[in-house]
This record gives sequence, structure tokens and C-alpha cells, in this order.
Amino acid sequence: MTAASPSRPVHLGRIVGASLCGFALILAGCAKSEETAAPPAQGTGGAQAPVASTADGPTCTITQYGGTQLDLKSAIVGFSQSEKEANPFRIAETQSIKDEAAKAGVKQLLTTNANSQLSKQISDIQDMINKGAQALIVAPLNSDGLEPALSAARAKNIPVLTIDRKVNAAACKDYVSFLGSNFVEQGKRAAQQMAKALNNKGKVAILLGASGNNVTTDRTNGFVDELKASAPEIQVVAQQTGDFARDKGQQVMEQIIQAQPDINGVYAENDEMALGALVALRSANKKPGTDIHVVSIDGTRNAVQKVTEGELYAVVESNPRFGPLAFQTLQSFLSGQPVQQNVVISDKLYTKDNATAELGNSY
Amino acid sequence: MAETTVTQPPATRRLRDYGVYAALGILVLYNLAFTENFATLANLNTQLVQVTPILIAALGMALVIGTEGVDLSVGSVMALSAALLPLYLGYGLMPAILVALLGGALCGIFSGTLVAVVGIQPIVATLALLVGGRGLALVLADGRLKDIRNPMLLELGSGSVLGIPIVVLIAACLTLVVGFLVRYTTFGRQLVAVGGNRSASVLAGLPVRRTLIVTYVISGVLAAVAGIVATARLTASDPSAIGQLAELSAITAVVVGGTPLNGGRVRILGTVAGALLMQLISATLIKHNLPSSAALVVQAAIIVVAVLLQRPRLGGGG
Repeated sequence: MTAASPSRPVHLGRIVGASLCGFALILAGCAKSEETAAPPAQGTGGAQAPVASTADGPTCTITQYGGTQLDLKSAIVGFSQSEKEANPFRIAETQSIKDEAAKAGVKQLLTTNANSQLSKQISDIQDMINKGAQALIVAPLNSDGLEPALSAARAKNIPVLTIDRKVNAAACKDYVSFLGSNFVEQGKRAAQQMAKALNNKGKVAILLGASGNNVTTDRTNGFVDELKASAPEIQVVAQQTGDFARDKGQQVMEQIIQAQPDINGVYAENDEMALGALVALRSANKKPGTDIHVVSIDGTRNAVQKVTEGELYAVVESNPRFGPLAFQTLQSFLSGQPVQQNVVISDKLYTKDNATAELGNSY
Repeated sequence: MAETTVTQPPATRRLRDYGVYAALGILVLYNLAFTENFATLANLNTQLVQVTPILIAALGMALVIGTEGVDLSVGSVMALSAALLPLYLGYGLMPAILVALLGGALCGIFSGTLVAVVGIQPIVATLALLVGGRGLALVLADGRLKDIRNPMLLELGSGSVLGIPIVVLIAACLTLVVGFLVRYTTFGRQLVAVGGNRSASVLAGLPVRRTLIVTYVISGVLAAVAGIVATARLTASDPSAIGQLAELSAITAVVVGGTPLNGGRVRILGTVAGALLMQLISATLIKHNLPSSAALVVQAAIIVVAVLLQRPRLGGGG
């Protein structure tokens, strides 16, 4: 572009910049939000220690992994969170780790957040090692790419537990154990609820999660395989990605419901897409819970609320409260006992029968 | 502006100017023939409603591109306006909307000043807001999605007048206003002149700086309107998702609609058709249960064709 205009003193831009910042501060200062019903206190669910479903998989001991026994109370533990604590899952997960660290009485808990950047997560973990972390709990951003951080921990015989996402590395060798939900099982349980809602017969649309994500693949396979096995008369007539986002879920649902107005069920692979789908269904004059049944996965407060109102048929929980299980596993491991290499966290199921009573345990 | 058109063969020029309408027509005919329940009023409304946020943002984008600029910040300004809205709903709907629009206007003043006064390239000036605007939105909203309960705002998002959704009426009015602005006002003439030849405009004594700043302000305000509409539709303020990649969709709509990237020409109706074409492509794929990521590939192909058609001489080489 031609810089035809003769340049004027640059401070004009600075003034605008400064006033914009000032504007931002004023905005934040005199904000007055819409009156809403006071949300139930967060973190009440933390009281509920998730019980690991008993598994007879391979185990790992500190002698196999290398390192020395340690009392958790005198240990510095590092926690690396992958994504900003903006969504309910991450908020509940970090809170649960912090609460349980306090309860277990660890000497110090270091916490970091990678803000969805892999390079930051690697340097976060290396920083915590340099600060003297003796055990690490990592919520990996991605299944791949954390090798530099893992090998730094490995070099110092620091035990690493990965939570919620599994890394592509050898358990008990590159890291100690993985603690997480069984996403295939979540899909299966959603399929069972769908079969129940539709009396084993009908047409279903699936709102897929983000493409190329193993959570999406597992939740889809679990659902589709279970329907084939136990309710073959339920047909999956549409599968479209809603990117785990509410607005995308709403838009995709609006298109599907018009192209196929005779569907009876919607399976959303997370709560946010289900909430978007409910808006879309209502605006297409369908009554969720009567004309069409929606099943989803996560167990967020908003979704469980919709179960109590009858708009969602069922929500399969994806439990974010890894704290109790993680510190229990660390404790056993550091005191020389064998621990499972794959610890499956138990997920609840919210239906109209228990949603009102369990609302406080949703996140 | 005239000198670029004379070197093009008339056939190419016609394709560039009217190709988008032909493509849209063909896609509509295809859907009428092969898509179930396509020829319904409800479906028409759905497509129009879904396209509104992008369309409104694209109107502003068309003006900016007409000045030989580009506004990469529209998606982030949408997010900012979505974030501001629930913060001020406590004062009532109107004050909240005004604050959101004011936020958009200030964003426009910011990028407009950088472009017009400081002389920074538009792509860089607005890139700053693309990054910073969403950051500010997330900070204001504490990074979280907030449900909207204000009944008037919800009515704005889902209500209709005489069977036409309110948001579509808003988009239609804004299209008329912006179209009028371009075609019949002094400002519109000046905008096109500045985009066509900035040096000449300066020499001719046109208010170049003011025209540029006003253009970016209009784009910012329209983006804020798009953010309000998107929030009302979603029944929630979600600054991390609202407006995501909207700047690219808006640029696509403008370019496919026949507005050249090197300025000096603004085609508002073409922009509307461009936005509708992109909307219909993704809707068609979803309705036929094809992976919607394929839509991106189709859209990319259309953009390439549109840009090729805008070259002074097709196939002219270097």
C-alpha cells in the first residue's frame, strides 16, 4: 500500500491505545450483570471421592520404575494443567487436585497452566522439575509431543501420573500410570440410555466432538457398537461434527432437524453441544423430552439441570475429580506398593431418577 | 478503478461480477431437486438466520476492503461485544447494547487511527486487535460462557415479525443502509476514491484520514451488531466461540461477491450473495450427511476462482 499521507506525530496512536485501555478498565469497573439465580456453590462435588473401578491390569512399583521411596507429606508435587480453567471440566479438575493436595498434606503443590500450548506445557514441567518437584501430575494437552518433558522427569526418576488424557508412551517406563475415564464405555452407556429412551427403535443423529480427537473416536465407537449389539433397530441417520461447542451444536442441529424431521433421538458427545441442540430443537417446534430424546456426556451443572427439567433424557458423567485418586495412587506408589498402570475413574449417570438429588455433585 | 476493468475481456468481467449469483442459483436448484424438505419456509429461515452474523460483519468488511484495506479484527470484536453484553444487562437491554456498540466503535477508532494516521498496514493494525480483542473479551467474561436470561434479548434472537425472523430483518435493514451509503452518499464516493487511488485522493483534497477512520468505525460497529445477534441466537454469551474465524468468512463473502481486494470498488449485493453461497455450501453438506470439513475445501476452491477472476488479465502470467 502506498504511504501517501504525510505521517503525523505517532503519539496520536498512543493516545488512542491508552484511551482504549482506560475504556477497558472503566467497562470492567462499572459492570452490572443481569440478575440471575445464585449458582450453587462450586466444588461441592469434591467431597465425593471417585472410586476407581477395580481393574486387574498390569501394575507398577517404584522399584520397577526406579527412584526412592518417599513420604507424600514431605514431598513437593507439581501439577501441570493443559487448558485454561475456563470450562467447568478444567475448573473442577484443578480444584480437585488442589483440595486433595491440601487434604493429603503435601509439603508444597506447584501448579502451572499451559494455556493450550504444547511448548508451554513442556517448559512448565521442566520448570517444576527445576524447582524441585518430586512427583508430577500431568493433564496432557495432547497424546503426543510431551516426550522432552517426560524424559526430563525420567532422568531424575520423578514419577509422573497422567490424568484425563493418555500419552503415547510406555506406562511404568516413560511415566507411571494413567488415570482417566473409559471414553468407549461412556459412549456405550449413552447408547444404553438412548435405547431405553426410544424403546429400542428409532432414528438417531450424532453430534460428534472435534475431528481427529481420540475422545470423539472413542465416544462414537462405543455408542455405535453398543447400538448395533443391543438395539439394532435404532438407526444412526446423521453424524456431524459440532466441535464440542454450543454454537456449532446449535447450527448443525438446525440443519439436521430440517433435513430429517423424523429423528427421535440426538446423541451429543458433550454437554455443550447438547445444550445448543436443545435451543435448535425448541426453535424447530420440537419438544425435547417428548418428541425427541437427547443424551449427552460430561455432567456439567447446566446439563444436569436440564435433566431435572426433563429436557435432557440422560447425561453420562466424565469425572474431572482426579484429586483423591491421584494422591491415593501417588501415596501407594511412593511407599513402595504396586499401583495399576491404567486406573479407570468411575463416572456417574444422571437420569430423571437421580438428577435432582445429584445436582450438587455435577460440575 | 476503470483501468483494471478495461484490460479484462468482457466475459471474464461478467463472470467476476455475476458469477456468484449464478453459483448461488445452481446450488439452490441442486438443493431443490435433491435435498429433502429444502423448499420449506422453515428451512429458508434457518439458512437466513444462520448467515446473519457473518453477513453483518461482511458488510463492514466490504467497506474496508473497498478502501484497499482489510479488517482482521471483526471476529474478535464480535467476541468483545458478546462479552460486554451480559456485563451490562443489569441496566437493561438498551444500555447493554449501546455499550457493546460503543466497544465496537472504539475498536474501529483504534484500527482506523493506526491505519490512517500512524500509517500502519491495515493487515497489521487489525491483527493487533484480532489477538488483543479476543483476549480482552475472555478477560472481561472471566473466560466463561454465560447464559442469557433477558427475555427481550432472547426474543431478539428467536422471535419473528410476520414470519420473518427479527435478526434477518436487522440484517436486511443494515444491508440497505450500507448499500445506500456506498451508492448515494458523498462518504461512499470518497471511500471508493480513497480505495482506488489514495495518493490522488490526497492531492484532490479529499478527507482521506477521516474517511478511513469512519470506515473502520462502521466495520467495528457492524461487527459488534454481529456479536449481539450471535449472542441472542445462542441464548448465551460465549466469547471463546462467538466470532471464531468470522473475519475469514467475512473476507470470503466479500471477495466471492466480486469486491476486488485492491480496493476502489464495493459490491454490497454481491457480498450478500457471497455470504449466502458459503452458508448454503456447508448446509448442503450437512443435510446430505457428508463431512462438513469438506465444505472448507469447496469454499477454498471458490475463493481461488474468485481471486483468479479478479486478476487484470486472466492467465496473463507474470
